[in-house]
Amino acid sequence: MKRFAFTRKQFVVLVVCITAGFIIGYSYNLTKEERMMTIANLQDYEREDNYREQLIDQQERNKQLTTELHEMTVAIRDYEKKMVDADYEKLVAQADDLRLLLGSISAKGKGVRVTLADADYNPANVNPNAYIVHESHVFTVINELKIAGAEAIAVNGQRLRTNSYIRCTGPVIVVDGKQFPAPFTIEAIGSNDSINASLNLRGGVLDQLLHDNIVVTVEENRMIEMVANKQGM
Amino acid sequence: MWLPLLGLLLGLGLGLLSDMQIPVIYQNYLSIAVLAALDTLLGGIRAQLQEVYDDKVFVSGFFFNVLLAAGLAFLGVHLGVDLYLAAIFAFGVRLFQNIAVIRRILLVRYDERKKVRKTTNNHKII
Repeated sequence: MKRFAFTRKQFVVLVVCITAGFIIGYSYNLTKEERMMTIANLQDYEREDNYREQLIDQQERNKQLTTELHEMTVAIRDYEKKMVDADYEKLVAQADDLRLLLGSISAKGKGVRVTLADADYNPANVNPNAYIVHESHVFTVINELKIAGAEAIAVNGQRLRTNSYIRCTGPVIVVDGKQFPAPFTIEAIGSNDSINASLNLRGGVLDQLLHDNIVVTVEENRMIEMVANKQGM
Repeated sequence: MWLPLLGLLLGLGLGLLSDMQIPVIYQNYLSIAVLAALDTLLGGIRAQLQEVYDDKVFVSGFFFNVLLAAGLAFLGVHLGVDLYLAAIFAFGVRLFQNIAVIRRILLVRYDERKKVRKTTNNHKII
């Protein structure tokens, strides 16, 4: 027999040792992975905490800045009121008009109120899209009102600004980030005659809406009050 | 002498490099298997030092202990009794006993060797 040949005894010991080593090493590996995962989890939590704190800081700063902005606006108003010179008075009046158009001050005046409501459930019509109000209908009404010279428009009490957006999200519409369900009340302040005339044109907006199975109510010549839209001040 | 050590290292390397995944519920069994393996290895070393080593006993003891421990744990899980604690306890106690015996034997041998060296040195001087 050669010197390095295994005896049976040695071979058996070798097998046992390899198995034992494998079990120990494998177990170590598994535990290490688990440990790493716990560490990763902890890091995630820390990061989340950090972000949350940042968010809170940011929100507090926002609040502070909003208060500051409000104070400054009030200061500007006071300053404008003190202007008694005729020249300046004109400019102040113009600024107020512009603010009214922007929606940054509250408005009050005669106007119309258009209410768009879904039609009753119609079992004959399978497609519910055929009798609910879509944001496109709201768009048409608003566009018509704007064309007819409305100075201030609000949807469900939310005053529209020049850069407002209206979006459809399923059963509700979103106006500047706020959700509103049907029925939609669109209020407009402006020259009553032109608005009424344009709404009631034959083949115009109202006819289109009625054709789309929408329940439209128009209240004319009403006193309407609108609050300012503070978002875009 | 070098062969078991080499085998152990080889096994360790294989275990560390292997990328197998086992479900979390079986990791209990693995920990018990580790204990059983360690216990049997130390038992083998002790037997070798006490000169009562028998490879059949060693091998059968190794695999039987590992399987028995895992089986006990399995049974415990299904009976709602923490039987794996029994295995851990038994193996732990034996582990310490074996290590104690090995330590004593090694100490005794070391002392004997020292004495022998002293006596031989004395002889030389004389």
